Amino acid sequence: MNARRRSWLVEAGFSLAMLAYPRAFRRRFGGEMKDDFRQSPVGTLRTVRTLGTLSLNGLAERWSAIVRWSFFPNFTPHLYASSGRHFMFWDSFRADLRYAIRQAIQAPLYTALAIVALALGIGANSAIFTVVQGVLLKPLPYQDPGQLVMVWSHNTKEGKPENPISPANFVDLRDESGGFAALQGYYSFVGNTQIVIDGPPEIAVTSVVTPGMFALLGRTAMLGRTLVTGDPAGLVVLSEGYWQRRFGGDPNIVTRQVTLDGQPATVIGVMPPDFVFPYKGMLGPTGFTRNITVDAWTAMELSGPRMTDASGRFVRNVHYLAAVGRLKPGTSVEQARAGLAAIAARLEQAYPDTNAGWTTTVAPLHDQVVGGVRPALIILLAGVAVILLMACVNVANLVLARSVSRQKELAVRAALGASRWRMIQQALTESLLLATAGAVVGLLVVRWGVQGLVALAPANLPRLQEVAPDGTVLLVTLGLALVTGVFVGVMPALFAGRADVRHALQEGGRGAIGSRARHQLRSALVIAEIALAVVLTVGAGLLLRSFTSVMMIDPGFKPDNLLTLQMSIPYRLTTADARRVYYAQLFERLESLPGVTSTGGTTRIPLGSTNVTTSVQVQGQDVPVSALPEVEFRRAMHDYFETMGIPLRRGRGFTASDGAAALPVVIINEAMARRIFGQQDPIGQHIRTGPNPTGPWSTVIGVIGDIRHAGLEAEPAPELYVNYLQNPPVNPFIAIRTTTDPAALADLVRAEAKSFDPTLAIYDIRTMQQIRSESVAERRFLLLLIGAFGVLALLLSAIGVYGVMALVVSERTQEVGVRLALGAAPAEVLGMIVRQAATLAGLGAGAGLVLAALLAPMMASQLFRVPAMDPITFVLVPILLVGVATIAALVPGRRAMRIEPVRAMNPQ
Amino acid sequence: MDKFRPESFLPLTPVAFEILLALADGERHGYSILQEVERRSAGAVSLHAGTLYRALARLLESELIEELNESPDPSSADERRRYYRLTTRGIAVARAEVARLEGQLVAARTRRLLKAVRP
Repeated sequence: MNARRRSWLVEAGFSLAMLAYPRAFRRRFGGEMKDDFRQSPVGTLRTVRTLGTLSLNGLAERWSAIVRWSFFPNFTPHLYASSGRHFMFWDSFRADLRYAIRQAIQAPLYTALAIVALALGIGANSAIFTVVQGVLLKPLPYQDPGQLVMVWSHNTKEGKPENPISPANFVDLRDESGGFAALQGYYSFVGNTQIVIDGPPEIAVTSVVTPGMFALLGRTAMLGRTLVTGDPAGLVVLSEGYWQRRFGGDPNIVTRQVTLDGQPATVIGVMPPDFVFPYKGMLGPTGFTRNITVDAWTAMELSGPRMTDASGRFVRNVHYLAAVGRLKPGTSVEQARAGLAAIAARLEQAYPDTNAGWTTTVAPLHDQVVGGVRPALIILLAGVAVILLMACVNVANLVLARSVSRQKELAVRAALGASRWRMIQQALTESLLLATAGAVVGLLVVRWGVQGLVALAPANLPRLQEVAPDGTVLLVTLGLALVTGVFVGVMPALFAGRADVRHALQEGGRGAIGSRARHQLRSALVIAEIALAVVLTVGAGLLLRSFTSVMMIDPGFKPDNLLTLQMSIPYRLTTADARRVYYAQLFERLESLPGVTSTGGTTRIPLGSTNVTTSVQVQGQDVPVSALPEVEFRRAMHDYFETMGIPLRRGRGFTASDGAAALPVVIINEAMARRIFGQQDPIGQHIRTGPNPTGPWSTVIGVIGDIRHAGLEAEPAPELYVNYLQNPPVNPFIAIRTTTDPAALADLVRAEAKSFDPTLAIYDIRTMQQIRSESVAERRFLLLLIGAFGVLALLLSAIGVYGVMALVVSERTQEVGVRLALGAAPAEVLGMIVRQAATLAGLGAGAGLVLAALLAPMMASQLFRVPAMDPITFVLVPILLVGVATIAALVPGRRAMRIEPVRAMNPQ
Repeated sequence: MDKFRPESFLPLTPVAFEILLALADGERHGYSILQEVERRSAGAVSLHAGTLYRALARLLESELIEELNESPDPSSADERRRYYRLTTRGIAVARAEVARLEGQLVAARTRRLLKAVRP
């Protein structure tokens, strides 16, 4: 029987797999195995499997050979006995390892310093990587998440690519889209829902989804069932967290009856703990909600007054839905995008009144969820990598300093015949041992660091609860240790390999020979270190400058001495009259509290809530429905503007006389006045909201100053306020202006509300300063970390400079002694040392500036009102660095001043 | 050398025992051992080449098998093939393993884990 020849690819694969085996084994059995392999059955999958098993077996054989050779060299005569040379590597490795451990123990301080530096560097990197992995890399907790895309409406007139979808457009997109296996919708916001379980009403955060959403996401319940297509309203699925927290993990939760927003509902299931829907990034575009951890999901019914108009047709001009689609296998995002755009174009033709200028946006779901934080996390990753580099440079410096004291030993080894490669191998073994120890300690840093990061990170960072170290992180840590070990080892090792035997042995006190190269190397390391520190500190400086410019923005109201809360009034207050009376009494009670100067309320609190918009018609301006401008819509309650400190620019504010029976009136902000009325006087103009041809006209009675609603950095948008007396809300935010610390008043306010009405649900009590601070949490998080990296970088570079200058002083003791003996002033000596340090620092700072200038544009997305090449930062940072380096050089410099000439010249 | 004690090799790994069994009726080369094991077990045991040669290496080291210096039948075989056969030590170890397994079988039968041998 003749062995078949396989294709060259398979043969190459076989040879590659055989490399896994020890050489002796390969020589002995390789030929036979090759013949066998050629005779074995053909088939791609089978071949791949065979090669896989072959190489795994090879590695196992190699490992057992190492173990046997290292620990039982004479136990049995074996295959490898005669080819000992092959194992020279492992033999010497064992010796090197023993030697390295002995060395490490002999110099505990040096070892501890090196391990701590590496542990911090490696650990910090792995910790940040853990966050990046959990947030950016891990697939979303849905089945085949790569097929999922987010669908928005795109309002081209207003330039809003991620606008919610109207019910009618959603139904059309769903029914006509060809590229999707399924398209399901949900409310583009999560809502606070009043839930009655067994006592007074409470608040649960709910998401309303089309019942087929769970099947589309490919997730099932851990208890009971999910919603399925065709389910009616009145069914509720709980999150695992809410089920544990509120129901104590009751195993009989399914079929439990509760009341949701006054309607009876049945619990049908509990989702697994890792299920999250929707993510923050999947909510509507404007504004943000404080709490988006959903407690429960309820079914959306595509019917009823919210969905359909008086004639029973789906509403096309009110946008509040978002949609997730699952692509058919083989359909690309591009194809799906084109498909939906074609439908949107048809709808534009068919319904020009409502759809002109509207198209669709399709984005991969993963991008939608994490896209916003990607730049910040990438910057963090880059920053922490710089820290590791600096730690490496520092340890390399340490190793180098130590190699000075070990120069003789190395020279002896070389004289005894150690090859250059053997010396490098020895040095590498040592640095790898250090790095491995650093990595092991670093794992502790990872553990605590990740906990710290998660605690420190803004609560609205997407997927934060999914961050946890795992196998990948372990692998990355080990990989980092390997790279670090080689990096740290190579430079001193190269130097060790260059040690000059004769001179080192002859040398007496000072390191004349080899020290020149060593100095250059160490100086280069310090320059590199300072350059890296400049890069990090410039980054931190730019972020700090951006942060302060954000915090200096005037939000348009006075956030000091302001307490806010949200409430949900009881369902028994079904009529507007009942609510008016209720609110009037409540505001009176709150204003009677000591320390309260005024109160008010609104339906959307700035910087801390979502947003809602409406289109506006102006009497006398004849515009088609599709061209009506969109403005933000709120109700003002009681003394809202006065309480918030929002200035009235023109006209008057709301008064009690603007009540239910009075003519409808509105107040607008300056942005709206500019946008709608231009140069005209807005006071006395008549407008009405929505494309509502029959509604009553409202009179504009006042203009207030602009406020920042969606965030401090977001430009003020046109706003329209109506008086709450003309339609009292049920879920308002309340603002209370105080004369003292508002936080101290929280308990009093809560108690007063409870005594006023025990069934009144009050939640989210926060001071306005707190809301303002939380609205910049992401920016602060990035600043804190990069700032910490910057401080660490300064410290590391100071240590580096100190180390080098200390060495310089100790090596130049003789020379300095001579100078002093010849009459040099001690101050001159100090100046000489400090000048040398400053020169190094200056070179490093120069290189760092160039590097920083190249890298700064990467941070553009995180900067605010600060150019990437901000002159202040670029001037101050190098001065700071040179200053730090100079101070670090003072200590060795002072030592040089005190050198006694006589001692210095007679070292022995 | 120490006194040879077959018991010290017991229990054999399943792979080692399969190899010894396959070599019990004469010399074989590696691939033929693979085929024999597969044939005898009707495909139930599938020996992988990597596993086989590692086991062969161990058996050679402990001198339970040895390599023939020349092919037993030069006319039919690929002369590059190496042939293996049992040594007397190998036979003794295989016997000891069989005895050990037999003891287990007897124990299993008395505890009714296995039906008695049919006549």
